[in-house]
Amino acid sequence: MSRLAPQPGERIDRSKQISFTFDGKRVTALEGDTVGSALYAAGQRTFSRSFKYHRRRGLMCVAGQCPNCICSVDGAPGARACTEPAREGIVVEHVNAEPSLEHDVMRITDIAGGPFTPPGFYYKTFIRPRKLWPLYEKVLRNVAGLGKLRKEQPEREWRTEYRRRHADVLVVGGGIAGRAAAAAAAGAGADVVLVDEGLAGQTGPLDGVELIAGGSALGSFDGLVPVWQGDTLHQIRAAKLVFATGTIEQPLVFAGNDLPGVMLSGGALRLAQNYAVLPGRRAVIATTTDRGLVAAQALRTAGVEIVAVCDLRPEVNELGSELRRAGVPVFAGHTVIEARGRTGVQTAVIAALNPSFATDEHEFDCDLVLMSGGATPATSLLLQAGARTEYDERRGHFAISELPAGVFAAGDVAGVSGDETVARSGELAGLRAAHELGFGDADARGRLQVLETAPAAEDKAVAVAPPVAGSGRGKCFACFCEDVTSKDIGLSIDEGYDSIELSKRYTTVTMGPCQGRMCQLQSVRLMAQHNGTSLADVGVTTARPPWVSVPMGILGGRPVEPAKRSSIHARHRALGATVKWAGDWRRAYDYGDPAGEALAVNRAAGLIDVSTLGKLLVRGADAGAFLDRLYPNRFSDLKTGRIRYGVISSDAGRIVDDGTICRLDDETYYVTTTSSGAGAVEEWFGWWLADWKMDVRLTDLTQGMAAVNLAGPRAREIMSAVCDIDCSADTFKYLDGKLGTVAGVKALVLRIGFVGEVGYEIHCPAAFGEPVWDALMEAGEPHGLKPFGLEPQRILRLQKLHILVGQDTDSESTPFAAAMPWIVKLDKEQDFIGKWALRHYAEQPESIALVGFTMSNGDVPTEGAVVLGEDGSPAGQVTSSRHSPVLERTIGMAWVPAALARDGARITISDVGRQLVAEIQTRPFYDPDGELLRS
Amino acid sequence: MSALDFLSPVAADAGVLARSPMELLAVDAGARLEARDGWNVAVSYPAAAFGESVSWCDTSHLRKLQLQGELDESLPFGTAVRRDGVWWCRLTAGRALVVGARPDVSELPYEVVDVTSVFASLTIAGPLARECLARFCALDLRPSVTPVGALRPGSIARQPGTLICEAQDRYLILFGWATAEYVWSVVADAAGHLGGGPVGIDQLQELSNA
Repeated sequence: MSRLAPQPGERIDRSKQISFTFDGKRVTALEGDTVGSALYAAGQRTFSRSFKYHRRRGLMCVAGQCPNCICSVDGAPGARACTEPAREGIVVEHVNAEPSLEHDVMRITDIAGGPFTPPGFYYKTFIRPRKLWPLYEKVLRNVAGLGKLRKEQPEREWRTEYRRRHADVLVVGGGIAGRAAAAAAAGAGADVVLVDEGLAGQTGPLDGVELIAGGSALGSFDGLVPVWQGDTLHQIRAAKLVFATGTIEQPLVFAGNDLPGVMLSGGALRLAQNYAVLPGRRAVIATTTDRGLVAAQALRTAGVEIVAVCDLRPEVNELGSELRRAGVPVFAGHTVIEARGRTGVQTAVIAALNPSFATDEHEFDCDLVLMSGGATPATSLLLQAGARTEYDERRGHFAISELPAGVFAAGDVAGVSGDETVARSGELAGLRAAHELGFGDADARGRLQVLETAPAAEDKAVAVAPPVAGSGRGKCFACFCEDVTSKDIGLSIDEGYDSIELSKRYTTVTMGPCQGRMCQLQSVRLMAQHNGTSLADVGVTTARPPWVSVPMGILGGRPVEPAKRSSIHARHRALGATVKWAGDWRRAYDYGDPAGEALAVNRAAGLIDVSTLGKLLVRGADAGAFLDRLYPNRFSDLKTGRIRYGVISSDAGRIVDDGTICRLDDETYYVTTTSSGAGAVEEWFGWWLADWKMDVRLTDLTQGMAAVNLAGPRAREIMSAVCDIDCSADTFKYLDGKLGTVAGVKALVLRIGFVGEVGYEIHCPAAFGEPVWDALMEAGEPHGLKPFGLEPQRILRLQKLHILVGQDTDSESTPFAAAMPWIVKLDKEQDFIGKWALRHYAEQPESIALVGFTMSNGDVPTEGAVVLGEDGSPAGQVTSSRHSPVLERTIGMAWVPAALARDGARITISDVGRQLVAEIQTRPFYDPDGELLRS
Repeated sequence: MSALDFLSPVAADAGVLARSPMELLAVDAGARLEARDGWNVAVSYPAAAFGESVSWCDTSHLRKLQLQGELDESLPFGTAVRRDGVWWCRLTAGRALVVGARPDVSELPYEVVDVTSVFASLTIAGPLARECLARFCALDLRPSVTPVGALRPGSIARQPGTLICEAQDRYLILFGWATAEYVWSVVADAAGHLGGGPVGIDQLQELSNA
């Protein structure tokens, strides 16, 4: 194990050993190690195989930004070994290599697959012959992807939470600038949340600041920043956002730049300083800024032999001179152009680029090549929050040029460098954010002024990395995630995908797990070079969430589903009802015997829970006039204690909803609607009331009232046993509404029905739903009362040819075509919604009509089956169909050509490959004259 | 009987008790129920010691009246006014909700509709009450934004609801009667994970007095 001597600030605890397995082999680690650092210390150098070419990949960034160490941990794919904490007993496995990491058969795509896998190859290859596509697809699916999900996952294994958090100031990034911003804003009195991807021990608490350590901000959605932390998705809404997200060190593009042993200089430093792991024995360092030089010094101190340093800048500065004085060869104006080796780096070639061809080449034997191609600001979250960037030629990257109101950038991401300056910029951002919210005393305001007028620090010289070095010497990777080379970018442009957005979609550059961290700048440089344009003209692709890979379970949150239930629902469950969704309600569909339940209603009595009906109280001096305006029929002339059926029409005269209206007193109406239409009708009523400003008040009682419907030949006897209302036929007539006491509860009883039998609909407060139901069931038992659900209700109402709005009608259905011309009172003086259109329809013959049909051969056509016209073409459709147990035949409703809408006419129904013949019936199948209903 | 009498959950027969839509859930959780003012109410649970986390209590039996008419400035928006143990909550320009015991509204120039059974309610209380609510509600409940007496209509557990900050670390949430079983399950899931549990109305009173 290659561990260094204890390093200042190291994260490992050398006194605590733990172990885990990697591909079945036991690995010893120290507490505080990551999987990656432990494996590297144990000598592992190949961590994965690349996406397309299956080339060996080793640690590169050691910061969770590149894809090179993606692995599976305890069966969950998508983990990055370099940031995954090592824990006792975890099972770590490689991904994307068969049969093993060391010997991957798919490496053949790198050796010989080039002609078959150019950019966009899936548009060109594997598409002929077409009939082989199912085979190609199966093969491609098996070889594509990074990791596998378990096929069987019967239960959720992992509790995930949503947590909403409002704050005055959210700071993203817990480095020097972020911490300074958070401290400053909190010091001024703001409520501050600080989010940092580092773990709690690394970031440390701050007074007055809620620290979300180990949290990754996923994006910015109009002020909402979701942050993933462990099992929790924090949904943070802050008045002000401060992004101190730092910069991302950039790789260089040269031949063999993906070999294990080629790392970012910061990655090597993290290995050495955080985990005391020797990154290599002999290193070549290529840099465009001081970063690489600082890394050279630090690694030399740690015991790495620095065999050469190439600094692309034309002059060697003081840091470089120091290295020279220490005996390290430093080559100014040089960069690395090739890394060679079989399973890892063995040789590095450096040269001067002049300007695009290499001169003054030098070869060095080494096992480590460190590259530092500058750093690009981590602007994705800022861009999502509305910031803009522009290409900065001096710095060679895209820098923030514009910030929207309420959004601040601090530290390196804002183009500031040097610890002291970075801290000041953070403090400035934090104070500004707090100040804009009215926080901060005189001292804070004074400090803000000082910071705002402080001179900016001097920029240090950087060199801009070339788009590519070493072309022709081997594959030069621009995108490590998707295996996109510099040549691929050029090919995509030659094929016409010459904008960065098009090239991205064609080559998939920046679309992999790193989301452009390692490759956005490189791809823009390559495009600019190939097109002969500037990077400013090329621009960048649109920043989109999520900024980090996030498990779907985190986005899913808790598995709870909103549902409405009647106050009587427990009784249905206890009776063994089949419960299904009906809109957003859970309803009893049947109690095990829908046909029997329907028959019971016709032979004895049935009880159904209709609590889901919409119920609106319409009250006021103008209540009647208001309803007259909303419905095509009249309600202002309805007598107190009487009920009328109503159909709501739209402005275009189409059926929107239906229900009953009972007049309770001079100024009070009790309106029912369909269950699914309740919300829409309430909105409709409220919207028109706001416009008409009539003396009317609306109250939605839908959830507040339980309602049950008792129907059948024995309904009167049952009802009489439980209520104090005289239920005799002469006293309680059909379409009467009476107030009384049912089962000891005050209730509104409506003598209505849609099933062709004597019926009573009882409405009482939901708090009494169960006692009323219980009393009726008990009283009805000697009479053969059965509960019935939605399915038998559908049979029963179909027997009466009662429409179900939304099932038998659609957005084009008019009352005339739906065989309800009687509901439209065009002679009303009152204007009403849809009057103009309905008058027009009344004058035009309908081309289509809603009718009943019957069949006696036992066939039941599928709802939605097509009705054929005389020429065999589609001319209508079946909307409802059932077998009627009491009538012992099939009944249904269908839209048919108006010419066929007459009793006895025959229609042909085309239903899933069979043709059925039915006979039209325009009158209800059961109780056609309503004698039973009105009895 | 007047036209709107049937809306009130006051039984004609004193032997018929009104029931919360969460009664069965309370029973399953071990509640002891008693008849109080015509309601079957969960008064206590056997192991209710959630003083350091969060408790929830079914308070659906609270009377609720809807007032409609020309409301004056004594009922400001965004604030629930406490008068004689009753919350007066202005919801719109012409609509208010009165929550608690039934006050004498006969002299008031408003139209009154009993909506007790339209809204179920839970009281959520304890040091982790805000944390619990944050699991299913995006209302900003920081004391600086939602102080005691604040009234916040909004989305609660993805349903329309109303929240009243009754006291420090104590919130009354109102929601549709038919959604009660669902809301209880959401609250129980969130609060349970934080170490909390249900309490009866007598225990809630003790917590408030503590």
